[in-house]
Amino acid sequence: MNGNGFSINQARAGNVCVVSLSGRIDSTNANDVMNELTRLIASGEKSILVDLGAVLYLTSAAFRALLVATDEAERQAAQFALCSLAGHVRELFEMGGLLEVFSIHSSREEALKQLG
Amino acid sequence: MTRTLDVRIHNDLSEIGTVRDALDNLASELGIPMQALMALQVALDEVISNVVKYAWDDGARHEFLVRITVHPERMDLEIFDDGREFNPLSAPEPEPPAAGQRPKPGGLGIQMVRRLVDGFSYQRVDGRNHTTISKTRAVGPAVQGSNT
Repeated sequence: MNGNGFSINQARAGNVCVVSLSGRIDSTNANDVMNELTRLIASGEKSILVDLGAVLYLTSAAFRALLVATDEAERQAAQFALCSLAGHVRELFEMGGLLEVFSIHSSREEALKQLG
Repeated sequence: MTRTLDVRIHNDLSEIGTVRDALDNLASELGIPMQALMALQVALDEVISNVVKYAWDDGARHEFLVRITVHPERMDLEIFDDGREFNPLSAPEPEPPAAGQRPKPGGLGIQMVRRLVDGFSYQRVDGRNHTTISKTRAVGPAVQGSNT
């Protein structure tokens, strides 16, 4: 039984590849997130936006995946940003001292304006 | 009234889901506030994944016990494993990254656990690690009766 409601979906908005995550991102699925993001970067995507609006919570394993993807994007000269952090998801970023580490936008629309 | 639930899992990351679901079900049944549950779930993932990844290095399958206890005022999560001695509280806080640099992936987890829970303790007893995290049942909207 998979009780975490986890999913990864992709959509395209102009030049931006939007990856929507939902449910819980924890040590049971953080590798799936990392593999998918690094695969997209390796495939030549130059603008990736990760929408966290439907995420229930992230654990440190998820933050590690996002940090690895951020480093990889930088190496490949790709833009990598996050958007739509809900209240307690934002608190988790804050707890990890990570709000300044990532490029974070308040909403998908806001992010697309900057990235697109 | 106090409720205790023992969950036995193996050193396999995918089995953390078993503990997560057990805690969800108990929280739903007992009306645990969502905020407290989420904090405990994030801390649980960190502490148990450390045991799974680092307690044994012989490549063999090992079983260990996770005990969830719900007291009227707080929830305790205890992990008992017979892996090598490891005190998660002794893990150093991650070094602040140098100016203009990103933190290194890793080292974040224990720092987050410390901030998320109200109690975090460790003992080595009879050749076993015994790690306990506790969360006060703060007032807040209760978890609805659903597993999603």
